[in-house]
Amino acid sequence: MISDNAVFSHLAPSIAWLAVSLAASATLAVVVERGLQGLRQVRQRRLEQRYTPVVRRALVGDAAAERALVDCPRRDRIDVAVLLVTPLIDDRESWRIARTREIFTAMSLVAEAERFLDSRLWWRRAIALRALGLLQSRAHTGHIVAALDDANIDVRAAALDALADLHDPASLPALVVRLLDTTLPYGRRVDALSAFGSAAEPLLVELSTLDTTHHVAYARALSVCGTAASRELLCEWTTDPTAEVRAAAFVALAHVGLDDRCVELAVRALDVDVPVVRAAAARALHGWTGAPDIASHLTRHLDDTWAVAVAAARTLQSMVPAGLEALRGCAPRTDLAGLLARQMLWEAHAAC
Amino acid sequence: MLISAGFVALVVIALTTAYFVAWALTQIGMAGIAGLSMWRHQRRHSRRAMALVDRISLPLVSIVVPARNEELTIVESLRGLLAFDYPREIVVVNDGSSDGTLALLQRTFQLLPAPLAYLQPLPTARVRGIYRSAADPALVVVDKESAGSKSDASNAGINAASGELVLVMDADTVLAPDALSRAVLPFLEDRSTIAAGSDVMIVNGSIVDHGRVTNVALPRSWFARLQIVEYMRAFRLFRAACASFNGLLILSGAFALFRRDAVIAVGGYDATAIGEDMDLTVRLQKHFRRRREPFRIVFVPSPLCFTQAPEDWISLRSQRLRWRRGLLQVLWRHRGMIGNPRFGVVGVIMLPYTVVFEGLAPLLELSSYAVTTAVFLTGGLDLRHYVLIVLIWTFFGTAVSMIAVLLNDVATGKYMRGADLPRLIAVALIENYGYRQLNAWWGCVGTVQAITGTGGWGTMKRRAFAGAGVPQA
Repeated sequence: MISDNAVFSHLAPSIAWLAVSLAASATLAVVVERGLQGLRQVRQRRLEQRYTPVVRRALVGDAAAERALVDCPRRDRIDVAVLLVTPLIDDRESWRIARTREIFTAMSLVAEAERFLDSRLWWRRAIALRALGLLQSRAHTGHIVAALDDANIDVRAAALDALADLHDPASLPALVVRLLDTTLPYGRRVDALSAFGSAAEPLLVELSTLDTTHHVAYARALSVCGTAASRELLCEWTTDPTAEVRAAAFVALAHVGLDDRCVELAVRALDVDVPVVRAAAARALHGWTGAPDIASHLTRHLDDTWAVAVAAARTLQSMVPAGLEALRGCAPRTDLAGLLARQMLWEAHAAC
Repeated sequence: MLISAGFVALVVIALTTAYFVAWALTQIGMAGIAGLSMWRHQRRHSRRAMALVDRISLPLVSIVVPARNEELTIVESLRGLLAFDYPREIVVVNDGSSDGTLALLQRTFQLLPAPLAYLQPLPTARVRGIYRSAADPALVVVDKESAGSKSDASNAGINAASGELVLVMDADTVLAPDALSRAVLPFLEDRSTIAAGSDVMIVNGSIVDHGRVTNVALPRSWFARLQIVEYMRAFRLFRAACASFNGLLILSGAFALFRRDAVIAVGGYDATAIGEDMDLTVRLQKHFRRRREPFRIVFVPSPLCFTQAPEDWISLRSQRLRWRRGLLQVLWRHRGMIGNPRFGVVGVIMLPYTVVFEGLAPLLELSSYAVTTAVFLTGGLDLRHYVLIVLIWTFFGTAVSMIAVLLNDVATGKYMRGADLPRLIAVALIENYGYRQLNAWWGCVGTVQAITGTGGWGTMKRRAFAGAGVPQA
C-alpha cells in the first residue's frame, strides 16, 4: 500500500499544509490589499474634498487659504503637493506656475523636493525632478541637468520631462549635447528639444559644424526646431555624399519651408538613384505652389518605387490646383500611377 | 507483480504531485516578477510621463479588424474606434462573411467603392473590393474572399494599412478610451520596441455604450467568471512576468500593436498556423534574436481591451481545442529554438517552460487524477492520503489564482465591488473541481487532434454587447 511508504506518508501532509497555507495567505493578502485600497481611496477623497477648494483660493491670492496650506498636518503635505502640482501638467500658464511655486516654497515643499533629489529611491528622485520641472524652479536647473546622468533610466526620463517643462535656456547646451545619447529615452529627447523650439537652433547649427559625423541627427533635430535660419545649412546637406544625410536634410527642409533654391535642389534630387532621397525630396515639395512645372516633375514619379510614388502622389494632392490637375491627367491610366491618382482625387474630394 | 504495480503507481503519484508543486511554485515566482514589473510600471507611468503622447507628433496607427460574420458586434466596436481622437485609420477586412456584415457596414457608415493603392507584401486571398466611409474617410473596408483563416484577413489588413504601427484586433474587441496612447507610449520611448500587447479583460457582464465599456462588472454566469480568473492568471501573472525579461511568446489576437515593417519582415501572419498570434510572436522573437538586433516586445499591464468569452460549453470547447492545437503546432514548428541558447531567454527558459508546464500539462494532470483515483479505489491508497493529494491539487491551484486576483486588483482595481471579491475567491476554489479537469480533458483531445490533424476552427456564439442600462447576463 502506497500509504505505508514512509517518505510518502511524511511528505504528503507537509506539502498539503504548504498548499493550504499558501492559498490561505494569498486569500488573506487579497482581502487585506482590498481593504487598504478602499481606505486609501476614502482618504484620498477626503483630502481632495478638504484641500481642493483651499488650493483654489490660495492660487488666486487668498492669504488665509495659503496659511491653511502652510499649517496643514505633516501627513497631508505630500498629498497637498500633488494637488498643487498635478494641474500644471496641462495648465502651463505662467501666473499659475509662479503662484504654485510661491505656495510650494511657503510650505517648505521645495526643501522636501531637494531631500527627495538625494534619495536612494529612484521613484522619489523622479517625483522630485518632475515637480521641480513643472514648477519651473530654475534654481534647480543644475540638479536636473545632473540627473540626466543618473544610473536609473526612469530618473533620466524624469529629468528630460523636467527640462522640457523648465524651459531654462541654461539647460539647452546639456540637452543638445545629449541629442545622440541613446541611453536617454528617444521620445523624451525629442520632446525636451521641441519644448525649446527655435531657441535650440543656433546651438544645433553651431554644434553640427563641429561634429560632422552626426549630420543625420542634427538634421532630424532641425526638423523639429529649425527655422528659415538653418535653410542654408540644410541645402548644403542635400548634396552630402551620404544618402541618409540628404534624405534627413530634405525632411528638415520640409519643416523649415522651401525657397526657390531649395525647390530646385529637391527637383534635382527627384532624379537621383537612391529611392529614400527621391521620396524625401518629393515629400519636401508638399504644398509648394510657386513654380508651375513642379507638378509635371512629380507626375513622372507616380509609377516610381512605391515609397517615392506615394510621396509624389501626396505632394501632388497638396498642390492646388496644379497638382490636382496633374492627378486628373493620370487618373485614366491603368498602372500604379493611375490608381494612386484616383485615390488622391477621391480623398481630396472626400475632404471637401 | 503486485509490488511492481504499486511501485509504478507510487512513482506516478509522486512525479505528478511534484509536477503540481513545481508548477505552483514557478507560478508564484512569476507572480513576484509580474508584481514587481507592475509596480515599476505604475511608478513609471505617472500622469506627467503619460503626457508625452500629447506633446510630440504621434505615429499613425492603422487598426486592422478582421471580421467574419460579426454583424452582432461590429458596428458597436467600430463606433468606439471612430471615437478615438488619436491619429488612426481603421481597416476592416470583411473575410468572406456569409451574414450581413458588409451590408450592415455599408448602410451604417455610408461606404462607397473607393480606389486605394497599396503594396501587397503579404500574399492573401483575392480582394473583391475596397470601400471607404463617406462619413469618415479614415474607415476603410477591404472585402476579400475567405481563405478560412483570420491570419489571411489580418495580412490583407496589414497590406492595406498605411500607418507605421498596426493594431490587429478582433472584431468583438472593445478598446479602453486611452488604449492607443497607452499602447503607443513604449514605441515613443524606445525605438527598439517592435510590438506591444496588453491585459485583456472579459466584457461579459459589463455595459458597453457606443463602443466603450462604461461599467466593468462580473458577469452573472459562473461559466464566464471561471474564465475571468483564468484570464487573470494568463495575463496579469504569466505574460507580465515573461515580458519583464523580453520573453513574451504570445501577444493576444484580441489586441496586439506591431511595427508594420517588423511584421512584414517576418512574413506576416501564417495562414496555416492555428495559433496565429503565438506563431507570429515566436517568429518575431526568432527573427530578431537570430539577427542579434535590439528589440523589445512589451506587455502593458493595464486593461486596454475587452473581449467576449464564450458562455456555452460548445463554444468554449472549440476555443480550447483550437488553442491547444495552436500551442502544439507552434512548439513543433519552432522546436529548433527549444533549449537553444542562441535564442536567449526564449530558447533557454520560456519555450522549455511552455513545453513542460503547458504542452505536457493536460496529459500529466489527467494521468495524475486517473492514477491516484484508481489506486485509491483499488485500496492502494487510504482515504487520508487521497484527501491530502486532492488538497494539494486544489490549494496550490487556488493559491495561484488568488495571487492573480491580487495582481489584478493592484493593476486595475476592477471586479472589486460589493460581493465581487467573495465570488472571485469562490471561483478560485471551485474551478479546481470539474472545470480544471474538463480543460485538461479538452487539452488531451486537442493533443490527439493535433497529432491526427483533425479538428476545425470551430465557431463561437457571439452576443450583441449589453447597452447602457442593460447589463448582460
